[in-house]
Amino acid sequence: MALLFRFLQVLSLLLLAGAVAAEHTSNWAVLVSTSRFWFNYRHLANVLSLYRTVKRLGIPDSQIILMLPDDMACNPRNAFPGTVYSNADRAVDLYGDNIEVDYRGYEVTVENFIRLLTDRLDEDVPRSKRLGSDAGSNVLVYMTGHGGDQFLKFQDAEEIGAWDLADAFGQMWEKKRYHELLFMIDTCQANTMYTHFYSPNIVATGSSEIDQSSYSHHADNDVGVAVIDRWTYYVLEFLETQVTSATSKLTLGDLFDSYDESKIHSQPGVRWDLFPGGEQEGRLRTVVDFFGNVQNVEVENANATDPGSLKEDLAEIAQLVEKWRKRDEEYSAILGDSSKNHTADAPSSHSLHLAPKKTVGPTKMAEDNSWSKRLVGLSVVGACTAIWVAGSILGHSSV
Amino acid sequence: MTGKNGDHESPRVSTPSNANANVKRIPPPESPAAVQTRFKVIAAFWAVIIFLGFPIWWKTTSVYRAHIPFQEMVDWADGKTCRPVFPLEIHLATPAMQSPEAQHLLRTTQHTLDDLNEFATHHLRLKLTNDSDTPTTQDDENSQGNASNAEKEAADTALTVRLLPQEDLAAPRSELHADTTQLDVFYPPSQTPVSSSSNPPLSAFIAGELQQLYAEEKATIAHILSSHAVGLDSPSPQVAGSISRRWRRSMQYAEIYHLSFSLFTPGPAPSAWDIEAAVDEYLSPLLRAFAPISNFTVDTQVQLYATFSPTATLPEYDETEAAWTLKKEGLSAFVNAAEWPLNPSIGNGPTINFILYIPDPSQSPLVVKENRASSWIIPQWGGVFLLNPPLSQTDSSGDRVNPAHLPLETLRPAFMTFSHQLLTLLGTPSTPVSLPLRLQTLIRVRAATLLLSASSTMGSLARLTESLPSIPIPATVSASVSATLSRLAATCSHLRAGRFGAALANARVAEKEAERSFFEKSMVGQVYFPDEHKVAVYLPLLGPIGVPLVIGLIKELKRVVASWKAQRRPT
Repeated sequence: MALLFRFLQVLSLLLLAGAVAAEHTSNWAVLVSTSRFWFNYRHLANVLSLYRTVKRLGIPDSQIILMLPDDMACNPRNAFPGTVYSNADRAVDLYGDNIEVDYRGYEVTVENFIRLLTDRLDEDVPRSKRLGSDAGSNVLVYMTGHGGDQFLKFQDAEEIGAWDLADAFGQMWEKKRYHELLFMIDTCQANTMYTHFYSPNIVATGSSEIDQSSYSHHADNDVGVAVIDRWTYYVLEFLETQVTSATSKLTLGDLFDSYDESKIHSQPGVRWDLFPGGEQEGRLRTVVDFFGNVQNVEVENANATDPGSLKEDLAEIAQLVEKWRKRDEEYSAILGDSSKNHTADAPSSHSLHLAPKKTVGPTKMAEDNSWSKRLVGLSVVGACTAIWVAGSILGHSSV
Repeated sequence: MTGKNGDHESPRVSTPSNANANVKRIPPPESPAAVQTRFKVIAAFWAVIIFLGFPIWWKTTSVYRAHIPFQEMVDWADGKTCRPVFPLEIHLATPAMQSPEAQHLLRTTQHTLDDLNEFATHHLRLKLTNDSDTPTTQDDENSQGNASNAEKEAADTALTVRLLPQEDLAAPRSELHADTTQLDVFYPPSQTPVSSSSNPPLSAFIAGELQQLYAEEKATIAHILSSHAVGLDSPSPQVAGSISRRWRRSMQYAEIYHLSFSLFTPGPAPSAWDIEAAVDEYLSPLLRAFAPISNFTVDTQVQLYATFSPTATLPEYDETEAAWTLKKEGLSAFVNAAEWPLNPSIGNGPTINFILYIPDPSQSPLVVKENRASSWIIPQWGGVFLLNPPLSQTDSSGDRVNPAHLPLETLRPAFMTFSHQLLTLLGTPSTPVSLPLRLQTLIRVRAATLLLSASSTMGSLARLTESLPSIPIPATVSASVSATLSRLAATCSHLRAGRFGAALANARVAEKEAERSFFEKSMVGQVYFPDEHKVAVYLPLLGPIGVPLVIGLIKELKRVVASWKAQRRPT
C-alpha cells in the first residue's frame, strides 16, 4: 500500500514536471502577406482568414501582428467595396468592422519584417507594432506570397531569403523571444524556405516541395480573381470545422494528417527535427497551443486565509494606506508651520515634495549642428565649381 | 583629338590603302616616347584602381564592427565571473540583557542558523545592536567624521529582532510587525541564556523563526538561480512548481509599467467615478513603496455600453445564491478582447490592465459561481473586479438603475483588490506577513533575476555577433556593453556586501543597457547573399572594364620583362 502510494506520488510529480516544461504563458501570431496588386487578392484573403481564426480562438489583437501590403477592400476593382472574401459563397466578410492591420502597404518590407522579429525597432515605434513575445510565448508565423527556391518575394521589389529568416529566428531564440514556434508558409516551393532553420523548438510546415507550385483553390466570378490558395483552404477547413473552441484537444499531428495531396495538388512538408523530442513529441502539441490563447484565470477567494491570499493582503495594504496618510498629514502640518514661521529649512527628509509643474518648451529634434553641415556643403559646391572652371580654362588653352 | 594627333611627328602615318597594298609589311617599331606614354596610361589606370577604387570599394562594402569584450561577456553568461550571494543582515536588539549574555545568545543563534541552512548562497548574519529606542548614539560619537561613508558601506538591515522579557510566559513567542521590519520575540525571563549552556532553547527558537520567515525567499532565489543553470540543485519539485507557477503569473520585469484602470458597464450608468481620489488614496502608497523596484504611470477610462463577446458564456441566474453567476471556466472569455479598447499601447513599458465591471441592473449582483468571488487575476495581463453597487430606484419606468456616479467609498473594495492583484502580478512573495519584508524580498529577487537576465543577454549578444559575421556592431553597442559589464560587477559586489537596494539600482541600469545593446536599431544583418549571387552582381559590372585592363597590364608586363631581358643579354 505504501509502495503504491509512493509510486503515485512519483507519478504525480513526473506529471507536474511535464506540465511545467510544456506550458507557455502567452500566444503571439505574426501573419504576413507579401504581395501587392489586385490579382494577388487571394494572398490577402489567406492571411485575413487566418487572422479571423486566431482571433476566434482567443488571441487578442494586441498579440497579433498583421502585415498587409495592399488594401483589397478599398481597391477600385473590388465589386464589393469594403469587404474581402475567401470563398465564392461570400458568407463571411473577412474585413469586417473590427480589424487591426499593424503594417500596411509599403510598410511591409523585408527589413521591417526582420526588425519586427528581432525587435530592433526605434524607441518610438508603438507597442502594437512590436512583437512583445518572451521566453514563455508560443509564436505562430504564417507567410504567404510568391516565392521560389529559398526565397519569398516581398512587394514585387525585394525578397527574403531562407538564410535571413533562419537568422532572424536564431536571434529570437538567443534573446528568448519564443518558447515554441510554428512556422507556416504557403507559396511556391514553400518547403525550401525552412531548410536553413537552425534554432530549436520550431515546427515548420509548408505547402509545396521544391520545383512545385502552390495553386489557388477557386475563383469568385464576381470578384474576378482567385480568392484563396489550396493549402491554406484545407488548413482553414480543418481549423474551422474541427477546432471549434479554444479548449479543443486536437493536435498538430491531427492537423498535418489532414493534408490531402490529391486535394492540395502539391506535396506539403513538415519539419520536426528542430523540435525537442522530434516528431513524436511535436505531434502531441495541441493546435490551440499555437492558434489559441492561454488564459488560466485565477479566481480569488475572498474568504481564504492562507498566506498571500486576498484577505491578508487587503489588511496589509490598508495599513500601508493608513501609514502614508498619517505621514501626509504630518508633512502638510510641517509645511503649514514652516510657511507660517517663514523658516528657511524645509523638511528635506520627506521625498513627497512635489515639484511645481514646469511647462515644457519646444525643443529641437535634431542635435546636429546645421551650420557646420551648410559649411561642408558650401565648400563641396565651391570645390566642384573650381574644378569645372579650371578644367574649362585649361581645355581652352590647350586647343 | 585630331589636332593632338597632328602634334605628334609620328613616323607611321600611313593611309589604309598603303597598308593593304603590302599586308606582310611589319609595322615600324614604336617610338620610345609612345611606349612610355602607353606605360604611363596603364600605370595611371591601375593607380586609380588600386589607390582610389579599391579603398572606396573596401570602405563602402565592409561592415563596421566595434570591439566588444567577447570572452568577458561569455563568462558573465556562464556565471563564471560572479556567483551571486545574499547575506542578510539581521539586527538583534536585546534591551533587557547583559552584554555577555547577549553575545552568547548571538553566537549560539548564529550557530544554529548556520546548521539549519543548507543553501549557502542565501544566509542570515546576526549582529548585535543597541536598544532601538536610542539608535546609534554611540556610533555617532565614534564616527562623526565618516558618517556618510559608513552609511554607504554598511549593509542594509533586513530585519530587527527585539528580545523582550515577559513574565507570564511558558515558552518564547514571536510577533511580526505588519508595517515595519521588526520581529518582537517575547521570552520568559527564566530562559535568559547563561553562558554555560551550549544550546539554549531561546536561540533555537529564534533561529527557527528566522528560518521560517525566509523560507519562501530562499526557495525562490534557489529556483531562479537553478533555472539559469548556475550549477545549483533546485529545491524540491513541489516548491519549485508553486514558485514557477507564481513566476509565470507575474509580469516580466520592466523599468516602467503602465497601469490602466477601466470602468466597463453594459449600460449608460455609472458614467463617472472618483478615480483620481481613489488612485491617490488607495493606490499611491503602494506605488511609492514600489519606487525602488519599478516606475509606474496610471491612466484610466470609462467605457459605457460594453457588451460581452458573442462567444462568451453569459451569466446565469442562480436561485439558491440569489445572484447572477459566471462559470469559472468561462472567465477567460469574459474580457471582450476584440471590442473593448484595452491595451492602449502607450510608451514602451508593458500595460497592466485593471477592469472594474459594473453589471447591468437586470443582472445584479454578479459573482463567480464556484465561490462567490468577485475578482480574478489574468496572469501577465491584469485583474478583473465585479462591483455590484447599491441600485437606486429612481427611474421613470420604475426599473432599478445603477448610480450615475461612483463615490470614493464604493470604489474602496475594488481598489484594495486591485492593489492586491498588483502585488501578485509584480511577483511579490506571499510570505511573510509584513509587507515591508515582502518588498525587501522582492528587491533581492529582482536584483537576482536582473543580474542573471542581463548576464545572459550579454552572452546572447556575444554568440550572435560571432555567428553572424555580416552584422554591424556600432560604437554605441560597445559602449553599452562596457556599461553593462561595469554595472554587473557593481551589482555583484553590492550583493556580496548585503547592500541590496544599491545592487538592484545597478542591476536595473545593467539590464537597461544590456537590452539597449542587444536591440540596437542599426544591428540588422544585411540581407544575406550567397556567393554565387555576389559573382552575378559583380561580373557584369567589372567584366567589361576588367578584361581590357587586365590584358593591358599583362601585355605591358610582358613587354617590360622582355625589354629587361634584352637589356641584360648584351651585358
